[in-house]
Amino acid sequence: MPIVKLAKMIKEMQSGQVLELFADDIGSKDDVPAWCRRTGNELLGMEEDGATFKFYIKLK
Amino acid sequence: MTMADKMVMVVSEGSFDKAMMPLIMGNTAASMGMEVHVFFTFFGLKLLKKGVKPKLNGMMRPFTGMIERKMKKLKIPGFAEMMAQARDLDVKLYACSTSMALMGVGKEELIDGVKILGASAFLDIAADSKVNLFIG
Repeated sequence: MPIVKLAKMIKEMQSGQVLELFADDIGSKDDVPAWCRRTGNELLGMEEDGATFKFYIKLK
Repeated sequence: MTMADKMVMVVSEGSFDKAMMPLIMGNTAASMGMEVHVFFTFFGLKLLKKGVKPKLNGMMRPFTGMIERKMKKLKIPGFAEMMAQARDLDVKLYACSTSMALMGVGKEELIDGVKILGASAFLDIAADSKVNLFIG
């Protein structure tokens, strides 16, 4: 459940920092962009590397 | 700063699957910045008892271990861990006062951090929530 871990991670980060998230949960493809939309954090990009989804999120 | 969207769930069953569903949805919603309230009523009350280990219902009961092992493989946290996570994420847990009287559950049997509410107080919380789910 990457979203829960993601929320926990960003608590320790600062505005402007970029987080690189790797997830093997196929739901994350839609979950991470949805999380970004709702929380106002910017999704810089997303890649699929085999079974791993890579996300780059910039903290507001 | 805008007000957080509210999510309310009512849980009326205490089986393993009915326990995991509100926790997965609730913890996810809380991670997305929603204010989550979960109201446990009737058989759902047993999920708020100290030391509870929920099982699948009826004929499926012996398969609970199998599902738990599968979840572990998929790195989905188990019930106890999800409850701890919910606490960390400030998910609010409530026990229905009417059900407590009906099912003979005493306050001392419940885990810490549970608020006891009646239907009116609950409806007051639910009335302006964005997401309202019934799990049962």
